Amino acid sequence: MAATAIHKFPQYQYVDAVRWLPQLSPLDRFAVLALFDFDSDASSIQIHSLASNPFSLQPQFSWSSPSRISSLKTSLFLQKPLIVASTAAGSLHFLFADSSDASFDSEVSLPEGTLHSVPASSVDLMDGGVECVTVGEDGKVNLVGVGESNLSCRRLFDSGGLVSYTAARWASSVEFATGGYGFSLQWWDQRKPGGPVSNFKGNWDKKLSSGIVHSIDIHPSRKHTCLAGGSLGTVFAWDLRWQQQPIILSGAGAGTGAGNTMVHSVSESEVWEVQYDRCIKSNTSSTRILPSMICSEDGILAVIEQGEEPVELLAEACAINSFDIDRHNPSIKCACFFVVTLILGC
Amino acid sequence: MPSDTVGNGALVPLTGDPPAVYPLHHGLAPPICRLSISWSRGNTLHLSLFSSTAAKVVEVKLTSEDQEIPDAHWRRIAYGSVAPFALLQSRRSSLSALLKTPSPYHSDWWENVLQYSKEIGSLLGGSKLPPSPIIEDSKTIVKRDEEPTSLKAAWELIEIFYVDKQSQSWLPERLVDWLTDYDSLFTSTHETIHGKLVDFQKELVNIQVIEDDSRYWELLSSALSVGWLDIVVKMLRLHGSYQLDQLSKRELENGLVETVATVISKMPRLRPESVGKLGEFYKSKADFIKCWEKWRSQITKLDCSPFWIQCDNQQTVDGLRNLLQIMLGNTDSLCMATCFWIELYISHFLYIRPFTMGIESMSNLAQKCIQLKPQSNTHRLAGLMVGILEENTEVVLAECSREFGPWLVAHAIELLTAGSEQAEVLLHEERYNLGGISIVELHRLVYAQILSSHALTWQIAPIYLSSCVKQGMGLLENLLYRQSVQHNNVLLKNIEICRLYELDGISSNIMKIAGVYHWKHGHKGAGVFWLQQAQDSSCLDRIAQQLFDSVGKSISDESFKQWEGMIELLGSESKPAGGLEFLHKYRDFKKSLQKVSGGKSTELARQAVGSLMLLMKNPSTPQRFWLPLLYDSLKLLNWKDCPILGVSETNLLLNKLQDLSLAKLRPYYTEPSLPPDALSSIRLALATNLGRAILDE
Repeated sequence: MAATAIHKFPQYQYVDAVRWLPQLSPLDRFAVLALFDFDSDASSIQIHSLASNPFSLQPQFSWSSPSRISSLKTSLFLQKPLIVASTAAGSLHFLFADSSDASFDSEVSLPEGTLHSVPASSVDLMDGGVECVTVGEDGKVNLVGVGESNLSCRRLFDSGGLVSYTAARWASSVEFATGGYGFSLQWWDQRKPGGPVSNFKGNWDKKLSSGIVHSIDIHPSRKHTCLAGGSLGTVFAWDLRWQQQPIILSGAGAGTGAGNTMVHSVSESEVWEVQYDRCIKSNTSSTRILPSMICSEDGILAVIEQGEEPVELLAEACAINSFDIDRHNPSIKCACFFVVTLILGC
Repeated sequence: MPSDTVGNGALVPLTGDPPAVYPLHHGLAPPICRLSISWSRGNTLHLSLFSSTAAKVVEVKLTSEDQEIPDAHWRRIAYGSVAPFALLQSRRSSLSALLKTPSPYHSDWWENVLQYSKEIGSLLGGSKLPPSPIIEDSKTIVKRDEEPTSLKAAWELIEIFYVDKQSQSWLPERLVDWLTDYDSLFTSTHETIHGKLVDFQKELVNIQVIEDDSRYWELLSSALSVGWLDIVVKMLRLHGSYQLDQLSKRELENGLVETVATVISKMPRLRPESVGKLGEFYKSKADFIKCWEKWRSQITKLDCSPFWIQCDNQQTVDGLRNLLQIMLGNTDSLCMATCFWIELYISHFLYIRPFTMGIESMSNLAQKCIQLKPQSNTHRLAGLMVGILEENTEVVLAECSREFGPWLVAHAIELLTAGSEQAEVLLHEERYNLGGISIVELHRLVYAQILSSHALTWQIAPIYLSSCVKQGMGLLENLLYRQSVQHNNVLLKNIEICRLYELDGISSNIMKIAGVYHWKHGHKGAGVFWLQQAQDSSCLDRIAQQLFDSVGKSISDESFKQWEGMIELLGSESKPAGGLEFLHKYRDFKKSLQKVSGGKSTELARQAVGSLMLLMKNPSTPQRFWLPLLYDSLKLLNWKDCPILGVSETNLLLNKLQDLSLAKLRPYYTEPSLPPDALSSIRLALATNLGRAILDE
């Protein structure tokens, strides 16, 4: 690992989520922040530009949200940066940014109550931004098609509350994965409606240590593997070809699972976000799970790799809610409470 | 409204500070006919406003906090101080376990506290100021890297006196450093040397001949009196005689200025070497005393030098000789040069009592200085300093609490007890008037309450509560029960805290509450999950009955997808699922029946019968499912090739049918929605099967 530089940018509002805006030109880099002001109850999405020399994060544009942001994703849509955010009130907002200076161009939204009876737990934008999946604790799975001026939404499934979903992630243009209670994962295919194509629930409930999946990632080169992070510092991979056996990468509660004798645990708290570490060039022909990065409630940002000692990048005094890896530039950004931290050259 | 609600109808005048005005944004059309006010969490007021047509609730946050440090920064300090505090507590407890005494006081303990103090101190810095330009401006006299804060000043002051044993031998010089960093803070209440310097620096560009300005000489003596040697030397070099065109004409004058500057920069100081400070540093007191005497005699000699008379610039001569008087410890000169008592106090240490060590008799000197420089209003740092110098722990605590708030008290208490067994006893002794808790615990509880009252800080309150032996755990339980279960983030944090402090009972109660909450709101899966985590079989049994109502109606083959996830969630049989484990077996039975439906495999049919028997034997299978189950199994009962149910199995099923007919007579029996001939066809099938089975055996 090359030398890293850590820059901290204190914010005056609580940072719920951070995302990189897909890069418009090699010179400009923009970050999207979901902010919440506890004292005035005001929430907003802000675009900050990253200036070098001296390093600074300058707010450029702000869009005030009617309610606190619960999930935030970014993508490119017709060569324009697109931001999607779900709020605590249950509304869903699509913000189109200008491709030259990242200013907000237009906004299309679905009011609360149209998609879910409770706030959507998670949203994910397909690469290319044409479709967005939203899932919620009410057990509804919705697909929202993004057009240039209009949105079309349809309900793919409704479990009637029998199953709650807390995370979602696209795998391809037709498939996606969701996660929920009891470390469960579901695999969906738009071509096969009526329910999930397969269900995953590992056999690790011998001890009373189950939890909730908070985040899922799927690597474009390995669509059959679903990486999930959740309660008790648990990070595991579900290989669709090995359906009932999770590959546990980290975790306090699930560490004694069968076949996982050598599991290092980097955190014992909630893993809020997990992403494949696209900065690390790894041997892609290897059968091992690709290295990934996690952030947790107990303030850890770390890289974990199957069978290896985890590498801690940050250990903060307070929770790290969110992080994002810039795919084109090897750098990470993470939101911790009132601070946005930028790690360069990792 | 009657006018005499208060007293005799006279309005009570407001005294003290002017009232703060908080504008309300309620958006209601006037008139507002009713208003109710109550306290919300923290220092937030909850206002309910009613107009004739609408109503609205608004919250008003009352700010009475320290304006010096914004809220966001406060929270950073609160979070940052958790780790050092927890580390110190764990060291304290492991040490007292080792020594088998309740008090961990022993000779090296202060080193632990010092480390703690340094870590906390590093959090308290104010905002960083922009870096000074690379090419240094000769006219910049005062410069600093960060905005000083009173909180940090207070913390360092306590550290200097109570913790840092190494620096006790050079205590006066530490105070000089402290004043260098924080003199500017006192500008808010009265005139300070720093304030004067800053003002002078602003005007510096407009002054042509600096040595003709009386303020120049005044400030030189002021800065020298409090030991800011670098500033003095820098200012002396601004003297006009240094200018190239003047040098030849004012050679003697320049020589005098330079001599004084050299003498100043050679002042002996009893302190470790430090970068950027002028003077000659001595660590041993004996060496220091020797050099100090030598230096003083040089100054006395210089003072009597004949060159003073030869110099024709009288202002320069007077100014320079006043500087010499300061260095010789002339009380009047020092009193003239300084602005308020702390500055005078420091100047005494530098020039009148340079050999002072330790805290002895420091208090008397402070009193003398306060009398010489009386102040109409006392700065909060000055109050704290008096308390410290009087060696009165209770006064120090009171000052900290009154002026700097609960954070400082809760954390600084560790410093106060670092070096003194007496303070340790005073602060850790259980007091009847405090309800049996110690002063230390009291202040921690107060701080924890403040943390608990805010959504962003309640998570760290348990660290402080758990360090309170008497009342801490009780309050922690309260705190945990008070958090809402609606939001997963809060709920999960709550459970994590329970796990950390091994509060299994509370954790399972919270999970039960969460389970019932989700169940009520229609998130059946989430409800079942939490109740399972809480191992609450009785609750699961009860909700199972409700769930079966909908199962009976909807668990057809098409809607099975919906149930699948729920059944997965229930997991294997090893987990407590209450009555819900029935669902699991029911699913297995349905699945095996599905496999049988098309084929003719007797083996598969036998498996299905196995599942059926498991269900029928299991006491958790609700009675109302018996008939539908048997009806679903008609195909198995009428299996073509051979009877696949044995005699005993058939008899068991017949007995169940018998039980059912008895149950029909009881109240609350619900008839399953099956075709009218269902019962008779089941009877017939069972009877036929029994006959075939008997023949077979």
